[in-house]
Amino acid sequence: MTEDASIRPPATRASTNGSIFRADGVVKRFGGIRAVDGAAMQVREGSITALIGPNGAGKTTFFNVITGFYRPDGGSATFGGDQVLGEPPYAIARRGMVRTFQITKALAAMPVIDNMMLGAPDQPGERLANVLLRPGSWRQREQEVREQAMQLLDVFNLTRLADDYAGTLSGGQRKLLELARALMARPRFLLLDEPMAGINPTLGRRLLEHMERLRSTEGVTFLFIEHDMEVVMNHSDRVIVMAEGRVIADGEPHEVRQDQAVIDAYLGGSTGTNGAGSPSLPPPEEAR
Amino acid sequence: MLELLTSPTVAVTFESFTDIDFWTGVGILAGVYTIFALGLQLNVGFTGIQNFGQAAFMAIGAYAMAILVVDHGLSFWLSLPIAVLITIAFGLIVGLPSLRLRADYFAIATIAAAEAVRLFALNARELTGGAQGTFGFGDDWDSVSETIEGWIQDIGWTDVPTLFPLFLVTWAIALLLMLALSRVQETPWGRVLRAIREDEDAARALGKNVFSYKLQSLAIAATLGAIAGFLYALNLRFVVPDEFLPIVTFIGYAVLVLGGLATYWGVAVGSIILFTLLEGLRFLDLPLSETRISALRFIIVGLVLILLMAFRPQGMFGKREEMVLGD
Amino acid sequence: MEAGTLTAGEAPTLAERIREEAGRHPARTALAVLALIVLVMIASKGLHDVAQRGLNGLSLGAIYALGAVGLTLVYGILKLVNFAHGDFLTFGAYMAYLVNVTWGLPLVVAVFWAMVTTAVLGIFLEKVMWGPMRAKGAGMLQLLLMAIGLALVIRYVIQFIWSTELRQLDVNRTDTVEFLGLTIGRTNLIVIIVGFVVLIGTGMMLRYTLLGKRMRALSDNLDLAETSGIDTSRVIVWTWVFAAGFAGLAGVLAGAITQVQPELGFELLLPIFAAVVMGGIGNAYGALAGGIVLGLVIEWSTLFIDARWKTAIGFVVLILVLIVRPQGIFGKAKAV
Repeated sequence: MTEDASIRPPATRASTNGSIFRADGVVKRFGGIRAVDGAAMQVREGSITALIGPNGAGKTTFFNVITGFYRPDGGSATFGGDQVLGEPPYAIARRGMVRTFQITKALAAMPVIDNMMLGAPDQPGERLANVLLRPGSWRQREQEVREQAMQLLDVFNLTRLADDYAGTLSGGQRKLLELARALMARPRFLLLDEPMAGINPTLGRRLLEHMERLRSTEGVTFLFIEHDMEVVMNHSDRVIVMAEGRVIADGEPHEVRQDQAVIDAYLGGSTGTNGAGSPSLPPPEEAR
Repeated sequence: MLELLTSPTVAVTFESFTDIDFWTGVGILAGVYTIFALGLQLNVGFTGIQNFGQAAFMAIGAYAMAILVVDHGLSFWLSLPIAVLITIAFGLIVGLPSLRLRADYFAIATIAAAEAVRLFALNARELTGGAQGTFGFGDDWDSVSETIEGWIQDIGWTDVPTLFPLFLVTWAIALLLMLALSRVQETPWGRVLRAIREDEDAARALGKNVFSYKLQSLAIAATLGAIAGFLYALNLRFVVPDEFLPIVTFIGYAVLVLGGLATYWGVAVGSIILFTLLEGLRFLDLPLSETRISALRFIIVGLVLILLMAFRPQGMFGKREEMVLGD
Repeated sequence: MEAGTLTAGEAPTLAERIREEAGRHPARTALAVLALIVLVMIASKGLHDVAQRGLNGLSLGAIYALGAVGLTLVYGILKLVNFAHGDFLTFGAYMAYLVNVTWGLPLVVAVFWAMVTTAVLGIFLEKVMWGPMRAKGAGMLQLLLMAIGLALVIRYVIQFIWSTELRQLDVNRTDTVEFLGLTIGRTNLIVIIVGFVVLIGTGMMLRYTLLGKRMRALSDNLDLAETSGIDTSRVIVWTWVFAAGFAGLAGVLAGAITQVQPELGFELLLPIFAAVVMGGIGNAYGALAGGIVLGLVIEWSTLFIDARWKTAIGFVVLILVLIVRPQGIFGKAKAV
């Protein structure tokens, strides 16, 4: 019943200046509150970009708006040059712009392998007409998808859990599963909402290694929300800072760290001692 | 559906306990409810949408068939696919605005739609015959039924109940549908439905058009409801609004949760058990009047719902993890 | 709310401006629309007819409002719309019948008895069923089906005891009262008076008493209320007292102006749902207003269409509200 356009992610166009994603003046209101108040940013293709900001800055709301989970109240956003703001979430995902969630959405009452296989695009067996009228048309693709799923599970060391219900996995394993599942669609642009939250440092490092590997071997672009400043400063190419619904800084990690507007945002405008009011922002004198 | 539950008791003796005519009737009811509840299983158990308007699909299927045959002279066999299409169309009309509502509002919306259908049937006398209903559509089926009866008599059983062929056909259809649904459930399409049941937003994030799938699920349930409607109409010999009260859908849910939100086959087991229980009441020789026994049957349905949900929400065949996880 | 199309410097059209204003002040908009409709009706059918039917609509509306307030208050506790609520009305009606007809006591006693016994029923069910299920972390489908099962049990136990025979309360059905050129049955008038006194009293209680404020907080968001230090178990009990008590009262009033029969409550349930949804689920004032407005709308509809379609109006309203504004007039624009 749906249009079968498995929209292939667009090749980078020179006219987009190497930006795979642009947002301009994005607005989202809840009642009288502007949770996102004219946010604008560009994300370079093939970069690992961090999106940071104090609690309540609107980062997750912004994610939800640009990935289609919230209806926008204004602005525009383009992915690979195409307008995407206001499209339904499934359409945006199919374009190759895929997101994960802050609280993992592993499909708990389904086995891990089913979770993975759901991530694959272009499965004719997902269309009712094919299932009813052309029963053989999807078995081959199913086999391919299963193999791809097992390979990915292997990369993330989850193979032995393939037949377990996803609900029985630990928090960290679920985060890995969600990332692996997102990768099944071979996305061009991955938006990760606090990928490190709640997982132990070893697992976290492994996740970062995967991200960096995907970036260098396949040119996948990452935009991730994160609170762990060590990760942000040492593993991202660019940092975008949001506060009160707007982007207040955008640059390389060391530039952003010293930006007065950013410091003010985290410290709430008070002239405190170095970083005393903000446990997450490392003091400016820390040399790299 | 209510006819058998509210009709006068057959004489309560041991003979009537083994009265094959009686149990054939019960068997047909159980079979019709099985088909009815298969639609609910697809919706509730496998897609996660709480369709409380299934009785409307039954009504529209039955009425459409009856009106096409009686008022427009269509052949019974031709009227069936047309009636199914009409029912699906209604399902889409109801589903389009209401599927985006949250679960309990969707339940209310579907009950409202079902009651609207029933009240329309009650009041639109020129079209539906109002409270008296429509009848006289069974001739084509009767010839088939007699043929089947002839075959059975040829095998050697001479005293075949009149309704026995309908019983056979009903269960043959039920079994076929259970088989078909189980197969379809194992496909990638079925996998997407289960994902939707688990977490719609996760499914959307994976590129699935959730709304479209829900509509498909509802359309199939509408088809199943319509088929149940045809068979029920053939059993009853007429179509009246009172046969499509909300209690019909509630009984369907009792069947569903008894078997468990887990398999299509479980629906048949749940249906057989529930109807054996409800009809078996007749033979307890209770010193109660007719309305009292009828009320008692509905009390039992209510208790089945309450007790199952309180103590064994997964029903007979469900898995506890699938019920409790991710809710 | 189209995105990607609003660029700076493009002035919104008049239609967009009206829509935005309407969205910001839904109550005022609804009132304005209603007033407009009333004016149109008076212009086409005359003041007398509109007022006469409006008066009838008030008695119906009072019953709906009493049922709706209880249902919406309880929503906060159960987190779902309680399908068994209609049968509380039926229960109340039959309790009144028991006292008024079977025992021959005055109607006033019957009303109190009905309210008290229904309240007790509500508390009993909370202790025995809803509370334990909440503690177990039961899901919405479980609770929904339990509510349906409960509705069936209550209704058919009543039918078991009293059969489906139509019964009347011992009330005066023939006397009418006249004022301002309008006629109304004496019983209807009493229903309006009793209903509105209770509703106004409830409105004041909810607004000005501590208990009322806590009940409203609870019905809006139980979890939030729990974390803010309110002794929720006590408030829950009181909520059921009011919700069930009002349902019982609504049942008696309904039985007084129609008949007492086992389907009484269920037939009122869908219009009551409509009132609740119209007012915004969890919003007691909304339910109150919704009930009265719905009663008026249903009676006024008879000016234009055949009376046999009266019951359909309740559905139409419900379906319209669910399609156009499911969060109700007073509800916040959450994803419903």
